[in-house]
Amino acid sequence: MFPDRQTRSFLDATVLSRLAGVPLFARRPMQGNVSGRHASPHRGASVEFAEYRKYVPGDDLRRLDWRAFGRSDRFYVKEFEADTNLRCCLVLDTSGSMGFGSKDHTKIEYARKLAGTISYLASQQGDAVGLGCVANGLVQNLPPRRNAAHLRLIFDMLEQAQPKGETQLATVLHEIAETIRQRALVIILSDLFIEPDLLASCFQHLRFRHHDVAVFHLLDPLELDFQFRRPMRFVDMEGGPSIFAEPNDIADRYTKALNLYLDQMKKVVLESAVDYHRVTIDENYEQVLVRFLVGRAQGKGLR
Amino acid sequence: MSFLQQWMLAGLPLVALPLIIHLINQRRFQTIQWGAMMFLLAAHRMSRGYSRIRQWLIMLFRMLAIAGLVIAASRPLASGWLGLAAGSRADTTIILLDRSPSMQQRGAGTGDSKLETGRKQLVSTFQTLGSGHWVLIDSANHTPQELESPAALQTLPTAGPASSSADLPVMLQAAYDYIRNNNVGRTEIWICSDLRESDWTAESGRWATLRDAFLEFPQGVRFHLLAYPQTAPANVSIRVTDVRRVQSDEAAEVLISLRITRDGGGDEKVPMQVQFEIDGARSVMNVELTGLHTDFKDHRLPIEKSTKRGWGRVSIPADANPDDDDFYFAFDVPPSRRTIIVTEEPQSERPLKLVSGIAPDPALTMKPEVFAADQLSTLEWDDVSLILWQGALPTGAIADQLRKFVDRGGEVVFMPPRQPGSEELFGIRWTDWAGGDDPTVVETWRGDEDLLGRTLSGAALPVGQLEIRKYCGLTGEHTPLATLRGGAPLVARVPTKQGGVYFLATTPAIQDSSLATNGVVLYAFVQRALEAGVAVLGKARQLNAGITAGEVPAEWTRISDGGQGLSTEYPYHRGVYSSADRLLAVNRPAAEDETRILADARVTELFRGLDFVRVNDQAGSLSSLIQEIWRAFMTLMLIALILEAALCLPKLARPNSTGGTA
Repeated sequence: MFPDRQTRSFLDATVLSRLAGVPLFARRPMQGNVSGRHASPHRGASVEFAEYRKYVPGDDLRRLDWRAFGRSDRFYVKEFEADTNLRCCLVLDTSGSMGFGSKDHTKIEYARKLAGTISYLASQQGDAVGLGCVANGLVQNLPPRRNAAHLRLIFDMLEQAQPKGETQLATVLHEIAETIRQRALVIILSDLFIEPDLLASCFQHLRFRHHDVAVFHLLDPLELDFQFRRPMRFVDMEGGPSIFAEPNDIADRYTKALNLYLDQMKKVVLESAVDYHRVTIDENYEQVLVRFLVGRAQGKGLR
Repeated sequence: MSFLQQWMLAGLPLVALPLIIHLINQRRFQTIQWGAMMFLLAAHRMSRGYSRIRQWLIMLFRMLAIAGLVIAASRPLASGWLGLAAGSRADTTIILLDRSPSMQQRGAGTGDSKLETGRKQLVSTFQTLGSGHWVLIDSANHTPQELESPAALQTLPTAGPASSSADLPVMLQAAYDYIRNNNVGRTEIWICSDLRESDWTAESGRWATLRDAFLEFPQGVRFHLLAYPQTAPANVSIRVTDVRRVQSDEAAEVLISLRITRDGGGDEKVPMQVQFEIDGARSVMNVELTGLHTDFKDHRLPIEKSTKRGWGRVSIPADANPDDDDFYFAFDVPPSRRTIIVTEEPQSERPLKLVSGIAPDPALTMKPEVFAADQLSTLEWDDVSLILWQGALPTGAIADQLRKFVDRGGEVVFMPPRQPGSEELFGIRWTDWAGGDDPTVVETWRGDEDLLGRTLSGAALPVGQLEIRKYCGLTGEHTPLATLRGGAPLVARVPTKQGGVYFLATTPAIQDSSLATNGVVLYAFVQRALEAGVAVLGKARQLNAGITAGEVPAEWTRISDGGQGLSTEYPYHRGVYSSADRLLAVNRPAAEDETRILADARVTELFRGLDFVRVNDQAGSLSSLIQEIWRAFMTLMLIALILEAALCLPKLARPNSTGGTA
């Protein structure tokens, strides 16, 4: 499992073993380099029948369906679905706001667990995995590969990722949409503290490029509840101006602004057909991943 | 606004407590690294408008609640007119109570008089305000009287109605003397009056003196005027202006002259029933009133021929002021009018004897007697009404005798000696003779009152026709009644407590004046002086309440019904009293029938420079002058707390979906 036997804080062997039985599927056809367990937009040599096609000169005669010729006195070629591997691109938000955590862990620690586990699961089922860290821009980037050594690099990058700087997620997502050549599964792990309208264009862009987009929207319970007892000075983790506020006074307006944002986000992901998961980081990440994997398994088969 | 516990207002800075707590709370902030700044910024943008106002409103209501609590604890009073006067408890409260008959006027639709209402209001107010000492100075006897409690005002006979006039300057002087003699601390003087001009004598020079005197008190004196200036336009008062007993061969009669005064006047005729009562026998006369005054001269009431002396009462139906609806009188066989003439020359003696010896009424007995100055020691003064003195002013025993004579109500007319000396009497001294061959005439004279006043028919005495050839100057404090061309006084009156002292600057001698040849003026002058002098001598006297010249009230016995007050208060209550073998009819003074009210500006002017507040009340008023309103402030506090709680209520939290998927 760990090629160098190095212990990773964000990986739990028991969780990995439990999740190993649940495959990671793409919801859309992928274009891989090798055979895999994911649907491909092309015809191939799998056992799953796809369709009959009229014979045209040049087709392999071995693929003629003689039984159909016997019934209809015409030449048909029998085609089967192709199975391929997928290219899983993890996009990890490493902006300053990901360093927030009111309880045991921060959002980036939680994101590491999710990203590490997904990387491992994808790698184990033969898919290529890549990782991009996003802050002011694309801070670090590992293109998808499917060998075990690459997985170690990904783990190293996850381990070294530190929350810092502002978020330029929208710009980076547009960049990723353009730079990934083939269809891929793009998994975004972020708190998405940007305007939903900006995200909507990103998701549309990715969808236009036939990528399957999944989003883990990470939020801290305190950010949702906003419960404080004393006046607070809120220091922006991304370097912006500080705000002094009486939480009791602005709690209702904060909640109002938050709910408005969440409603807009919900609308954006529905319109963009994004596999969206809002995650409160006090949830068990295993449960989150199970929900994610099972949800995708149910959506499998679309070509 | 005034407060009973003003020191509690020291807690008002506590109003700033919510602000201070807010500021302290602001300083106790915590710092937190925060990621979701976009929502905070959005919330901050939304905090304008109502949200910001709400914060200030919450702060305001908290401060209001504390202010309400502090003010309620300070026991606020509802009356603004007290100003801050009632801020702290006074050491001494002096009550100047106007008990005059005009204070008996009832309010419309109520049975309470101004005096009763005033007393109730004062008791209610004082019980709220409190004081170290309570002192009552009433308008009748002007003697400071310490009260145990303000409630005594309701029961004290000396706070009840009286028939005597009020004299506010004298009452204030009594208050001033009390403060000065007792070295009292902070003093409040409460004046309860109906602001009658006759009671206040605003033109008197005493006001300026009193004002200066009160300003000198270092402890400070506050004046509160509880005024009842309303008049009753339909009120009618009756007064007996003259009463005489006449007797003919067949019968005896009492001739009564009346004056009925209708407040406000008016041209319409008002029927009125006047009831006479003499020795229990009643008779009624129907009259019609027009104008302000209606006079009836010598209404005849038959009496028993054997009745030489008696008393009676005249009354009209009750109206707004019951105290001026009746009038007592007493009658007797008129005493002989004895005049003593002292003159140094026969040219003056003759006319003086003539004018004092001719009776205006055949029933009167005139006794003019000529005395030499050195014979006066043998004179019996008791039945003398008038002394006509032409000659050098007396000194020594004769002068003392004259002073006593005047003090008991006698009248004296001095005329100049041919050779004026340096003698002085009643503050007056004759100077030199003046005048020459050309006679001088009288330029001005007082035709409205006193000895040279108009006759009852309204005609003026022919004073202007007099020719004065020689006149003597005089020095000293006097009031000129007639002035010659050039400003020299012809007739002057010297102010005295009782009686009358007149100085005639010439003599009736033919070489000095035409007083003898044009005898009307001299006759009226002498007869009027004689009538005034004889008024105190008869066995039946008409007295103004409060003025008991020549009488000993301690010997009085009340003989009329409807007695009011204690025996010591007899001189201040109308009625008929007997003293030895004499009858005394006591009534309200004539000035009480004058309804003129002192103007507001004039009242303010009287108290200029003094700490003075005034409130107008009306008879029968049910509303208290002051009342505690701490309940209102407690209610305000509760409302403020409820509103603050309502503003602080958190909004209903919507179910917040987290961890959902799309």
